[in-house]
Amino acid sequence: MPIDKSQIFEKESVEVEGVTLTAQWNRMFEQRVIFDYDTDAMDKVTAVKGAESMGWCYQCTQCVPVCPVEQAGGDYGPRKIFRRLQMGIDLFTSDDLWKCTTCMNCLRMCPKAVDMIQIMPAIREESVLEGNVPDELQEVFEKTFEYGNPMGESQRKRADWVKDAGVEVPIMKEIKRSVDILWFVECYPAYHNRGKDAAAALAKVLNALKVDYGILGTEEKCSCDSQRLAGETGLFEEFAEHNIALFRKYKAKTVMTMDPHALNAMKHEYPKLGSKSKVLHYTTFLAPLIEIMDFKKELNYTVTFHDPCYLGRHNGEFESPRKLIEAIPGLQLTEMGRCKQQSYCCGGGGGGMWLDGFMADHVNERLSENRVREAVETGADVLVVCCPYEVSRFEDAVKSTGNEGKLIVKDIAELLAEAMDL
Amino acid sequence: MANENVLIIGGGAAGIEAAKGVSAMGYKAILVEKRDRLGGTPDEEKYAALTPDLRNTTEAFAELMAPIVDNPLVDIHYNTLITGAEGELGNFTIKALQLGNEVEFNVGSVIIATGFKHFDPGRETQKYAYYELDDVITLTDAEKMLSQHKFVRPSNGEEPKRICFIQCVGSRDRRLGNEYCSKVCCGISSKQSIEIKKLLPDCKVYIFYIDMRMYGYWENEIYWPAQEEYKVNYIKGMATEIVKKGDKVLVKGEDTTFRRPMEVEMDMVILAVGMEPSEGTKQMAKIFGVNQNKYGFIETTGGCLDTVSTNVPGVFAAGATTGPADLEDSVSAGAMAAIKALTAIRSLAVPA
Repeated sequence: MPIDKSQIFEKESVEVEGVTLTAQWNRMFEQRVIFDYDTDAMDKVTAVKGAESMGWCYQCTQCVPVCPVEQAGGDYGPRKIFRRLQMGIDLFTSDDLWKCTTCMNCLRMCPKAVDMIQIMPAIREESVLEGNVPDELQEVFEKTFEYGNPMGESQRKRADWVKDAGVEVPIMKEIKRSVDILWFVECYPAYHNRGKDAAAALAKVLNALKVDYGILGTEEKCSCDSQRLAGETGLFEEFAEHNIALFRKYKAKTVMTMDPHALNAMKHEYPKLGSKSKVLHYTTFLAPLIEIMDFKKELNYTVTFHDPCYLGRHNGEFESPRKLIEAIPGLQLTEMGRCKQQSYCCGGGGGGMWLDGFMADHVNERLSENRVREAVETGADVLVVCCPYEVSRFEDAVKSTGNEGKLIVKDIAELLAEAMDL
Repeated sequence: MANENVLIIGGGAAGIEAAKGVSAMGYKAILVEKRDRLGGTPDEEKYAALTPDLRNTTEAFAELMAPIVDNPLVDIHYNTLITGAEGELGNFTIKALQLGNEVEFNVGSVIIATGFKHFDPGRETQKYAYYELDDVITLTDAEKMLSQHKFVRPSNGEEPKRICFIQCVGSRDRRLGNEYCSKVCCGISSKQSIEIKKLLPDCKVYIFYIDMRMYGYWENEIYWPAQEEYKVNYIKGMATEIVKKGDKVLVKGEDTTFRRPMEVEMDMVILAVGMEPSEGTKQMAKIFGVNQNKYGFIETTGGCLDTVSTNVPGVFAAGATTGPADLEDSVSAGAMAAIKALTAIRSLAVPA
């Protein structure tokens, strides 16, 4: 029997026989006895292509303790979802569907390969088609569709950051030749204030290293990997085909990007749609060039590094960012407890970037706040990142956790440019 | 000079394999069986298919016993019960009753392979209402139906729509005196789930368990396919009581992971009964003076490194007569016992 929500009472407080019970206690009055195990809810999920493995859980519960949402008080994790499905909850309309950031920490632990990275987008796609999407996410889908980026910024302004970069940034449409490295800038570096800082820093570094590169400028559209993982498969495919056509037009053998989410799409999804271009994260591209980097300044910071889920766990790149950090004179790297494979999610993946309002109702703290507290505990002055989602998320979290003045957030590109005095 | 014949008591998997081993090494095996046919409990209780590979039991056993049928080195005595034993390693005189007639066997060593019996769920407590409710059955009852390629509610002959297995009935229970895990029931329940889903694809199958014990390949060969391909629902929580509710049975217990009471209706309940020593095993222990453990199984002396020797020189035990065993264990121990029984006899030979 599906749980009848009208039968579940959770009031701010109730009075029972003269005793006042707070919300936590009056939850006791929800249905306490299980009368049925209706398999329809589970069967409906496992019938969806890609979501089959939801039914494979054997409740070992290794996933729940590593789930970042659970750790932020979200009462979450694949084991719990499996149990709720056994109890008849409708995942397609449940808030549980939107909490997962697809960070992959559960899959890392799962002995039965219950794969939330496949399950979540598959079920979300169905819900998106039915119109069961949190409003704020739906808004982002619409903006992406209309403007080519999730912020709803004008497509014509996608290359405006170049004007303030301080160096010349070659744009493919203008240079009219193929280049060694096609830099796929992606939305946050192109539009977000702090993203633009990182993009400008990377442009300076590339110019200093005399890399033959170019950007797509106003022709580029969002890679849409996070929209895909949030269920907007159609939008993803449309934009992917657009970007792949550009790669083809400019004969791009190698695409470089600052965004691990774009990297993920281009590495795993674009080839399925016909892309032949190789894709690299900018840290992977730059690490072999350390020898020719001319560092002029010593940066006397203690830093800690946040492994982006989609660079590290999803795509196996843990070393290049660290090589770059260690190459910068003066920097002292101190690792957080949850690093590399165990890295804690910033909350931005899988659509989480655009669900902060929704998530606020389900967690005790933002995931980014949880992470920032951990970074502060290391005693570092700088939280080093290399994913464009993170600068904004962590800077907000530094403020909201009262750590302003204790910790700043910098992209590796910014530190490189600073040490090279560019 | 030592008698080089080996007496094997019990014609189940362990006994058959022991007789095969003795004859294959060129010695005489005397195989004694109380029934009029070989095959042991799997045959007597009409198992439908073997765990874990779901092979047809009759076919698989026919193949197992083929080398000893019409084998001049194997004398098979049906309808024969051992009644007494005298002598020692190299020279045992064994008395038996064969269809009312006293017979005698002279052998050098003995292998006891008298196996187990299924736990009777109504014996000690009535908590599972096995004797009260027609639709509460055991794994063995289910095997009988499955061997006839049908699965229906005993109460009305209709196909069930919802059934559940309850694990650890008669096992892992200090109060019943059976503290051990019976080793095979998790696998058999999962195997039967698959067979039932094959017969009745629309039937919902649940397994209530404390923990699933699927050692070695049983994990991937039975448990995972049952869950992943046949959509069997595994629910962690023991049922504590079964009562009648209309024409259904109501299973009461606790859903452990949700820490909530549950009361779910089923068309049928299958009790995953464990193993206990058979009457034959207990009798042979007395006749041969071999030690039994506190549960009544024959105690072997070598721990995990010698699973067939007993405290009596020349008397060996193989298979489920020594404790819960699957077929893999039983045939392995049968072959092992054949080697030990013969090496014991040969150790008496005076070097020329």
